[in-house]
Amino acid sequence: MNKLLAITKKELLHYFYSPMAYVVLWAFLLINGFLFYVILSALSKTASPPVSPLSIIFGGSFFFYLLTIVITVVVTMRLGAEERKQGTFETLLTSPISDFEIVMGKFLAAFIFYVVAWLFTLIYVFIVKAYQKDLDFGPIISSYLGTLLLGMFFISIGLFSSMISKNQIVSAVIATLIMTMLLGITFLEFISSGVTREIFHYFDILTIMDNFSKGIVDSRNLIYLLSGTAFFIALSEKSLEARRWQ
Amino acid sequence: MIEAISLTKMYGTKKGVENISFKIDKGEIVGFLGPNGAGKTTTMRLLTGFLYPNDGDAYIERNSIIEKPLIARKYIGYLSENNPLYEDLKVKEYLDFRGRVKGLKGKELKNRIDYVVEKCEIRDVISKLTGSCSKGYRQRIGIADALINDPPILILDEPTQGLDPAQIYHTRELIKSLSVEHTVILSTHILSEVEAICSRVLLIQKGNLIFDGSLEEMKNAFKKNQVLDVTFLCDETKGREILSSIKKIDRFEKLQNEGEGGSSFVIYSLEGEDIREEIFWKCFEERIPILRLNEKKKSLEEAFLKIISEESKEEEIQ
Repeated sequence: MNKLLAITKKELLHYFYSPMAYVVLWAFLLINGFLFYVILSALSKTASPPVSPLSIIFGGSFFFYLLTIVITVVVTMRLGAEERKQGTFETLLTSPISDFEIVMGKFLAAFIFYVVAWLFTLIYVFIVKAYQKDLDFGPIISSYLGTLLLGMFFISIGLFSSMISKNQIVSAVIATLIMTMLLGITFLEFISSGVTREIFHYFDILTIMDNFSKGIVDSRNLIYLLSGTAFFIALSEKSLEARRWQ
Repeated sequence: MIEAISLTKMYGTKKGVENISFKIDKGEIVGFLGPNGAGKTTTMRLLTGFLYPNDGDAYIERNSIIEKPLIARKYIGYLSENNPLYEDLKVKEYLDFRGRVKGLKGKELKNRIDYVVEKCEIRDVISKLTGSCSKGYRQRIGIADALINDPPILILDEPTQGLDPAQIYHTRELIKSLSVEHTVILSTHILSEVEAICSRVLLIQKGNLIFDGSLEEMKNAFKKNQVLDVTFLCDETKGREILSSIKKIDRFEKLQNEGEGGSSFVIYSLEGEDIREEIFWKCFEERIPILRLNEKKKSLEEAFLKIISEESKEEEIQ
């Protein structure tokens, strides 16, 4: 565990020693803040449907997915690609640390960064609370849970892409492609019918996030996101082992 | 301590190293010698577990690098060829990270960092970014990293590459001082380096181990005839006359005299013959004083070139 945390600490130092972390956080908060403002003003019109602004922030709009993809791709794209490019994999992989610890240490660093970014959005909850006395915290908690789980899933995808690329841009492209394809399952669900539709429905991230934002924590959704994360973490670990057999 | 058994590594269809076996005992300083691209780095990467062999295995303190890699790697401090560092970390942060990755923590970690910083003389740059350190310092940071968990074995891949002469001298002195407590394996294509530091040589060419022995053995293995450098106090004709009368001499050449008078020759004996005594008695009979008689030692450089060229010839014949 000590070794794993050493990797996490090093990755966090990399984030905050470069302007990247600040630029990403700034952009993330700016876009999210603007979105919150737009949603709030739209919903304050008398004819608007009785929807909580927070459920739109979490998975209810295109921007949520855009932001999640961008932030997870940006925090993961250099994790493996940079080590490979600089040659530092050689010092890391010849140290007495397991491939799993290396992968998990990096995963944890990216996840911490992701959590920090979303923590700032708690302020919206307090703003809404100030105006809506009967605010139901159930859906809010489940929305945050869904956002964190989706983040874990996408970070594991980004991590894997970075592990197999020598270049950060290539890594970003691969990760974005995989994530977009997963989101595209919505369309497959839309055009199919019967059992296939059922299957696609199970993998549809938009439906999953919709459930979370309504306060529904479905074990099937949890299993999908968690097993997806475990799958890509395992692939990342295997990709390190594969390097040694090259 | 270290035992490599038939290590073979292929890069696709290209051969990295083939069937390399050797054993290195505690306290030895071994030089991996060979031209560029011979397989020195590949062998080191196999020993450190960065690459796994296609065939064969290596044991570090009896731990297989494939079956018990984490234990095996714990015994090794490795300075890789290009010595990559995390350039945006400060030297202290870098050593702290490396120490933790190697399982150190708390007071022990702090003590080890202090020790390696003193030992490798990097106190001056401790708060600088590793990326802004000079090549000489970077190399010492790499060695400090290799030393941090006090491993019994140090594997250094071209430790003096790209350094200026003063830095080379300091790095060599550092390696020599480390060899008291550690078994050191270093690779180089600079022969004088091996001569300055190592007690044993492993010569690798085209992925094969072609020589394993001490420096003296390496020099002697290729010394077949005796080469003498002599100066007689007489004219050239007389000198030639004396040398022609000795049967064990294969050939000789006249040398330019360097202002010492007499005539100088370089003499090659027949294979396996020592002709020094005979030359002495012959000159004694002729009443010709010998001003100088010097046996030319084969340099390591010559031995190295000879081994490599002979190997290539054999290969061509096959």
